[in-house]
Amino acid sequence: MKSPAAYLVLESGKTFSGWWMGGQEKAGEVVFNTSHSGYEEMATDPSYYSQILVLTAPMQGNYGVSSEVWESRKIWIHGFVCVEIQNNSYDSEWQDRLEQYQVPVVAGLDTRSLVLHLREQGTTWGALVKAGSEEEACEKAEVLIKEQKKQDKDWVYQVTSRKVVDIIGDEARGPRVAILDFGSKKNILRELKKRCSALRIFPSRSSASEIKAWQPHGIMLTNGPGDPENVQVAQDTVRELLGWRFIFGICMGHQILSLALGAKTYKLKYGHRGSNHPIEDKLLSRIYMTSQNHGYAVRKESLPPDVQLTHVNLNDQTVAGIFSEEKKCLGVQFHPESHPGPHESVELFDYFIKRLM
Amino acid sequence: MPKRSDIQKVVILGSGPIVIGQACEFDYSGTQACKALMSHGYEVVLVNSNPATIMTDPDVASKVYIEPLTFDFVKKVLEKERPQGLIPTLGGQTALNLGLELHQKGVLEELQIELLGAQPEVIQAAEDREQFNRILDSVGARYPKSFLVKSFEEGVAASEKLGFPIILRPNYTLGGGGGGIAFSAEEFRLKLATALHESPSSEVLVEESILGWKEFELEIMRDARGTFVVICSIENLDPCGVHTGDSITVAPQQTLSDREYQAMRDEALKVVNAVGVQTGGANIQFAIHPQTGERVVIEMNPRVSRSSALASKATGFPIAKIAALLAVGYHLDELPNDITKKTPCCYEPALDYVVTKIPRFAFEKFPGSKDSLNTQMKSVGEVMGIGRTFKESLQKAILSLEQDPRGCVVPQLFKEELLSYPNSQRIFQIFEAFRQGKSIEQVYRWTQITPWFLMQIQSLVHFENEIRQTPLSKDFLWEIKRQGFSDAAIAFLKDQKEESVQKLRKQHQVLPAFYQVDTCAGEFSSETPYYYSTYWGTHWPREKLSKRSVVILGSGPNRIGQGIEFDYSCVRSVKAFQEENVHVIMVNSNPETVSTDYDTADELFFDPLTAEHVGEILDYVHADAFVSQLGGQTPINLAPHLVHRGHSMLGSDLKAMDLAEDRGQFAKICREFAKVPLSGMAANLEEALELVREMGYPVICRPSYVLGGRRMEIVENEEELRQYFEKHGVHSPCLVDQFLERALEVDVDLVRGKDWTLLGGILEHIEAAGVHSGDSMGVVPPQRLKKEMWTTIENLSVQIAEKLNVIGFLNLQLAIKNDEVYVLEANPRSSRSVPFLSKATGVPLVKMGVQALLGKTKEQVQPLFKDWKDVSEVCVKGVVFPFKKFPNADSILGPEMKSTGESMGRGKDYAQALLKAFVASHVSLPQEGEVFLSLRDKDKEELLPVAQELQEMGFHLSATRGTAEFLQQHGVECEMVKKVHEGRPHCVDRIRSGKVSFVINTTSGRQSIEASLGIRRSCIDYSIPCITESDAAKAFILALRRKTSGELEVNPL
Repeated sequence: MKSPAAYLVLESGKTFSGWWMGGQEKAGEVVFNTSHSGYEEMATDPSYYSQILVLTAPMQGNYGVSSEVWESRKIWIHGFVCVEIQNNSYDSEWQDRLEQYQVPVVAGLDTRSLVLHLREQGTTWGALVKAGSEEEACEKAEVLIKEQKKQDKDWVYQVTSRKVVDIIGDEARGPRVAILDFGSKKNILRELKKRCSALRIFPSRSSASEIKAWQPHGIMLTNGPGDPENVQVAQDTVRELLGWRFIFGICMGHQILSLALGAKTYKLKYGHRGSNHPIEDKLLSRIYMTSQNHGYAVRKESLPPDVQLTHVNLNDQTVAGIFSEEKKCLGVQFHPESHPGPHESVELFDYFIKRLM
Repeated sequence: MPKRSDIQKVVILGSGPIVIGQACEFDYSGTQACKALMSHGYEVVLVNSNPATIMTDPDVASKVYIEPLTFDFVKKVLEKERPQGLIPTLGGQTALNLGLELHQKGVLEELQIELLGAQPEVIQAAEDREQFNRILDSVGARYPKSFLVKSFEEGVAASEKLGFPIILRPNYTLGGGGGGIAFSAEEFRLKLATALHESPSSEVLVEESILGWKEFELEIMRDARGTFVVICSIENLDPCGVHTGDSITVAPQQTLSDREYQAMRDEALKVVNAVGVQTGGANIQFAIHPQTGERVVIEMNPRVSRSSALASKATGFPIAKIAALLAVGYHLDELPNDITKKTPCCYEPALDYVVTKIPRFAFEKFPGSKDSLNTQMKSVGEVMGIGRTFKESLQKAILSLEQDPRGCVVPQLFKEELLSYPNSQRIFQIFEAFRQGKSIEQVYRWTQITPWFLMQIQSLVHFENEIRQTPLSKDFLWEIKRQGFSDAAIAFLKDQKEESVQKLRKQHQVLPAFYQVDTCAGEFSSETPYYYSTYWGTHWPREKLSKRSVVILGSGPNRIGQGIEFDYSCVRSVKAFQEENVHVIMVNSNPETVSTDYDTADELFFDPLTAEHVGEILDYVHADAFVSQLGGQTPINLAPHLVHRGHSMLGSDLKAMDLAEDRGQFAKICREFAKVPLSGMAANLEEALELVREMGYPVICRPSYVLGGRRMEIVENEEELRQYFEKHGVHSPCLVDQFLERALEVDVDLVRGKDWTLLGGILEHIEAAGVHSGDSMGVVPPQRLKKEMWTTIENLSVQIAEKLNVIGFLNLQLAIKNDEVYVLEANPRSSRSVPFLSKATGVPLVKMGVQALLGKTKEQVQPLFKDWKDVSEVCVKGVVFPFKKFPNADSILGPEMKSTGESMGRGKDYAQALLKAFVASHVSLPQEGEVFLSLRDKDKEELLPVAQELQEMGFHLSATRGTAEFLQQHGVECEMVKKVHEGRPHCVDRIRSGKVSFVINTTSGRQSIEASLGIRRSCIDYSIPCITESDAAKAFILALRRKTSGELEVNPL
């Protein structure tokens, strides 16, 4: 049984061919991740909303599926691209799961050429389509890309919790933490739940007064998809909270925090996505490997003088974390909650909790 | 912290002769470390007894000592050199144990030398099982239940608590030496005795079995600041129970989820910190229960290892180099990633391909030894296949074994027990099982191999059928090649010729892409020219280089007879070509070598050495020529295929090669000016008897269909000849050669250019003709050969080279009997003896070879000429054998090569050089005690002076009846001991009871060889020197004498 021909068509018209393994044709931003494992965690991470995920590790689906590792309630990616996905009578659980969520899956694609192209040309939009020829593919893709780009630019609002949710924590003597949800990975909640007495999740467009009214000991700004500048309301909310209670921002949360502090963000050429990014942590004074997934970063020169640069990405010296004693906040660009990725920076959660007690 | 300035000079210990479990991966790591430290301004002093290594070349380190790696000799070097630091972590277990010994005996403290890279406490913590288990407890890591026992009784008691099967692990041994698995009390008692004997500390860990668990290994690095990175995760295809060196392994790990993997990574970090590893590389092995997911730590090595060499090649991260720099104070974030040049070293490589390693075995060399795998390593080499998918990489690795260009599609005789008992052929049996329609569940039950791997193999087998049934369209060809099938495999399945498949493939432009190993899965741009071929990519044609370029074919997996010596030639030649402004492209499939360091040549292609793969590379790079004279027999075998594909070859042409290889033609040429042993082909016994009438006994017989000295036997009389034919088939054709008994054998290496020839030297064998040249000890300059004979041999060698029209290297094997020279064999290539001769004589053989290959004239090269006779020291080649690893194998030397490695002893005189060569080859030189002799009649007269001398030296002599009577008659006191068939207690009992210090046992004829096997085997089991040849016995006595008389000096090259 041969799979039909599939194409990844980039906005520029450049195409890459492969085999159509299932799902529905979709468009999205094309990004690559270099992690060796963790396909299920990535696909269910809301930060990948509206993105076609290209995995550089060639063999995917090897260890099946487990709902326990899901990072949210659904699969968000708009496409899954790899060299080979497990698909045989013995086991095809992962592919089946993707298909169940209508995610287009393309295998047999020369991911290395694609990655080198993205690296040189920068992140771009694209679409995964089934087609008999390149021309047909391009036509189909153009329509899909155009349609997908019409969506609201506040991607965070697409993935945030629709309502306030309360979670009882495991640690009765622990603090109460308000979570401003930009599309949180479940593991941020898991890490906090372990250490806190109560958590309350607030939708991304909640106001500062709503949060203050709950009387939390600290505030967590979560990860989330898209361009931080397009996130509505949150910047103002955070600005109002600065200095009131200690704030910990992760990824999108760190970017919104930086914007609220008066810094600027910019789009990286092709982002950082993987489990092997070295970070120098001046707060805990050590170097460790981190899990990363972001397309934007905070501009170093734009950091206000009362904000310290505490974390540096050693690969390219970009801003990986900031801290302000005065404004009572810490933001990190990477993912201390990992999943997937190494666990060494999880200590930052302990640091955060310590600041609240 | 930047580099330490309180250290200027460091000593690096190598790993000595190649043995099973410790091979050229340590040449790779040592060479890398030396280069790195030198380039950072340190003075590096290297000690290694192995002359075949690249690291012992004078320009690799500031100073090179080719001296035995023992406490006494290294102490002398340290006293002479007074370094500030000693790095014991780059030379395997040998160097680590030695470093620890130097510390424990106070030498380091006395000389104020700091142990760098691993503190003594760390070495002890990782090596001492009890201590290690306590550390694991402290971090909450699980390990198999075990008891450290120091006596037989303790061992038996422990086994009663554990139940069977039980794993035995002797402390402080390399490659699991002396260990094993016992399934019953009886087997346990047997193995326990050996294991206790093997451990230098007489300690054995008796351990709960984790047979059948999934096995993983993490290669990690840590710096003094505590930065921790995992360079590579490795998953064993073979489950626990097979030594990891004998397992097929895959990187990165394929079947663990991120949670499982990260949990393992967390534990590795905790263990490394708790053990106290400050800086450097280490590996940790884990086992995971296939159903419950329970995880245990198996072991940890606080040093670079075989798997760190593999991990370096698999990822592009140079572990040994970085480990050396960390040892002198650098931090990971201060060192740039070699490959990207832009990012720092504190990162974890991301792979966008899959790597499979397959070990290569040599069971066929050790008749009597069973092809079965357990916790004691037995493989002699390994290959690595890089592919975009597991299937592609597995198939490339199988092709790299150089066993069959068709790879895994060749049907096997299916046997269930070959699946259920691990053995060297199991992977092929798995293919066959699926061909026979067995299910994944069935094969899993037999093998306990993780179903994911079985599924991959099963799908390859299913695909074989598809290939058989489907026409070869362009699209289908792409699909087939992406699964990793070779052209030869396709041809076999389609019942076509390989050439026609290749032609069709080329017509359809189904060509491999050459992708880069870049440590980062393409995330950052990198310049490092380290490539592998894949059909999962896009083939972009590349331009021909403006510079002259050559492709050097490496020697593939190490095997007995083709090992590190050839890598030496390849690596040295790279330099020589580069000096002549030639761009060098290396092709090889062996991850252990220096040649597959991306730093060695201008470009590295890591691919199988098959005509197909090399051909594609040659097409792709448009090299001006390829070189086939450096990598041993592998490239010689490839040469005709490549020439016929239209590629040009440097040096001797095919005709010259054929002439040298064709026995008949070669003999004809040589007879014009030298003698050649008589030889003929006998179709049956009658014809053989006829031939012998002409040449006389003894003769050498070998089946005509077997290559490379296998099943060769020396036949002394008619009865034995009859027996030989009975054994091998009365009607099977057989080659019969006249055997030159007691002849002196020599190796000659030379280089011939357009109008010049340069001799590399005459290596005189210590054992008489009949012992394979790779197995005999040797000496330069010759000690027994008359001076005028040197000239005769030189002239003769030059003549043969001219007659064959060799351009480049030529190795000759000659025998001298009654002042006449016989030509035995010619190899039109660089040989095993080239590195030894180069170091012994200072003649830059490889460099000169390259000059010859490049067509340089006498005028151009004359300034480089050196006379090999112009030396002030005597150099003796020692030999190391792996008999210990092969229970029941015979240690008698013969025409088939069995040694794995060599050492060099250097001294002002022959005796001193001999002594060092013995010591460096792990042969102990007893000063007193009992010598047991069992001599064949022919040798009695000759060895009488030896016996007399032994008596004089105060040894007590014992011997079997015939020998004893002879000695007594000649006035030598000698105790008579029973032969085995004469009843007990017999001589073997005596040896096994530890009464005997060493044994001289010469024998010939199949029957007596078999009868005396017990003697030799008991010596192997108890590490008692056993000399099986009369000239070797004389040399041994000479060395013994030297040991008692006066100091030994150590001197750098």
